[in-house]
Amino acid sequence: MSDSEATAAEGPDVAPKVQDASPASTPDSSLPTTPDIATDVAPTRKARRRPDPKPAAEDEMTPVVEQPAKTANESTVSQGGWGYWGSWGKSILSTATATVATVGQGLTQVIEKAETSLGIPSPTEMSAKVEEEQKQPSDASSEKNKEAEDGSSAVGGAMGMLSSLTSVVQNTGKTVITGSLDALEFIGKKTMDVIAEGDPGFKKTKGLMNRNATLSQVLREAKEREELQTVETESSDSEKKVVAHYGMLFDEFQGLSHLEALEILSRESESKVKSVLTTLSGDELFQLREELDQIKESFSLVDFDDEEVDEKKDADGSELKRELTQALKGLSVSATADKLSKACKSAHSQITDMSPPEKEEAEEKSEEDVKKALSVEEVHAAAIRSLAELTARSIELFHKLAEMILFSNSSTEASNLSQLTVVLCKEVSLLSKKFTSCLTATGSNEKGDVLNPLITGVFLEASNSASYIQDAFQLLMPILEISHIQRRAESTE
Amino acid sequence: MAYAYLFKYIIIGDTGVGKSCLLLQFTDKRFQPVHDLTIGVEFGARMITIDGKQIKLQIWDTAGQESFRSITRSYYRGAAGALLVYDITRRDTFNHLTTWLEDARQHSNSNMVIMLIGNKSDLESRREVKKEEGEAFAREHGLIFMETSAKTASNVEEAFINTAKEIYEKIQEGVFDINNEANGIKIGPQHPTTNSTLPGSQGGQQAGGGCC
Repeated sequence: MSDSEATAAEGPDVAPKVQDASPASTPDSSLPTTPDIATDVAPTRKARRRPDPKPAAEDEMTPVVEQPAKTANESTVSQGGWGYWGSWGKSILSTATATVATVGQGLTQVIEKAETSLGIPSPTEMSAKVEEEQKQPSDASSEKNKEAEDGSSAVGGAMGMLSSLTSVVQNTGKTVITGSLDALEFIGKKTMDVIAEGDPGFKKTKGLMNRNATLSQVLREAKEREELQTVETESSDSEKKVVAHYGMLFDEFQGLSHLEALEILSRESESKVKSVLTTLSGDELFQLREELDQIKESFSLVDFDDEEVDEKKDADGSELKRELTQALKGLSVSATADKLSKACKSAHSQITDMSPPEKEEAEEKSEEDVKKALSVEEVHAAAIRSLAELTARSIELFHKLAEMILFSNSSTEASNLSQLTVVLCKEVSLLSKKFTSCLTATGSNEKGDVLNPLITGVFLEASNSASYIQDAFQLLMPILEISHIQRRAESTE
Repeated sequence: MAYAYLFKYIIIGDTGVGKSCLLLQFTDKRFQPVHDLTIGVEFGARMITIDGKQIKLQIWDTAGQESFRSITRSYYRGAAGALLVYDITRRDTFNHLTTWLEDARQHSNSNMVIMLIGNKSDLESRREVKKEEGEAFAREHGLIFMETSAKTASNVEEAFINTAKEIYEKIQEGVFDINNEANGIKIGPQHPTTNSTLPGSQGGQQAGGGCC
């Protein structure tokens, strides 16, 4: 019996247990729906499993057992507006959104949404029941969670907040992975979005600029959630696993702080630009608007083709260094750029070290091979760490660039910066590809449901990394604008 | 790893007084005699324990150069504590304290705890500013005062930790509104008492929403 069969079989096995916890349930009518439930994600399942202590509600409840979760799904789906997605994408994404909504908004809200739409209990009854639920079946549900996680135990911790999401993705396995970075970027971004504010609006290149929550807030929340989870798993799990939390690592490399500082500068510059614009009128205003629009334009053109990234290229990160030097010519941020290229170089050399040696080499390096027996989790952890470091350093670079632009007031071509963004995103993509092929090679003996979520995880964080880099780039726009305005004022004086 | 509170600090003062060295000594417990000029702001973080509670200090180490002032001022806002540093071997760095203080008070919240630091106390032979002068300045402006040496690590821990203690006391007294992030204080991730993550974190959210 394969692992995937085991997980699938767990549904009917578990459901009755859950039903036992509920005094009001009528097993006969609700049982047939359970196999369906098994394929669903844990949080949604929980919503359905909620015991109803009120016998009066029994009649209404039992025939529609399937209904609540469906409503939850539908509502989140319509919120997200996934309409134009392909069928496989749609099904994955809708489950994913449901999961995310549950994570982000809390269990009760989903239940409430589901149940109020059915017109079942009054709010006071609800809260009483919710409280009861929180105490009562916690044993059953935590046991249940364990079982659910067993199938993907390697992932559970490693994936952090995305664990439940990936286990869904895992079911559909290969399709998603070959479905390219784009789809994953979509899910990843969506995850962040929904957690941040449940904002359904999504713009591919505009990033998080126009939303209420700042990027650093979103990341901080994610990091805090991971910290919490770490504490919990450490206390409950005696055996220590190799765990990589992107958000925590990103913070460790001071990515969050640099992002926060960059946001401060960006915000201040933005309001300065606005106040300058209010002092102008007529032709002056028109002309400045025109000039600013030109700057804005360079910021909307950023797009890079993921397919173009060649795995063979840039074996040791020296290519990136060259391109960085090119893009940063004339801006005195060499120290920061050095840090970035170092991070990149070490990521590439790690990959070389971790990749199982080619056959001829294997004979030569038999001694080293013994040391090299890395687990897939270790490779995964290295990948996440490298991505977090590279992203943090990229954001540090953007922050330093912002400071230097404001400080020196030197003319900076926006096109150079967008070129830099493309270079960095390509590097992230390249690294993720290399790391995943390394994962595949290392885990050639592993089962798919151990390996696939790890691979998905790397792609997911890579697409997130690329999004953060692009968002940080967008933060530079007001800074270039105010710098332009200041230079302009100086030249007319 | 998890913390009860996070305090944001800023380190300010003339260039070359040893701001970055103080930070390095505090976070990494090492001293670097030659340090690159800080551009804009750099960061450091360390966990400390006060009253049995884990507190994370997030330290913003600003550039001391005059020409960076307009940028570094932007970073003052939202700091719970400030280390205002001068060099006891350079009288001019002491003379500039008033300007720094005015700047800090103007661009940050009024409750910010400010610690005055006379650094390089290991260079006694080259001393230009008496300890009493530092104490008097601090008394006059309502600051805490300490002489430190980033080189020998003397009083470095104390400077950072005493500032945090003062902030912590202010929280206990209710001076700081900890729910307002503009005060430079953040509450750490809440620990749910229940076993399962979801009901727990959601319970926290409810509590947070309830007080608004």
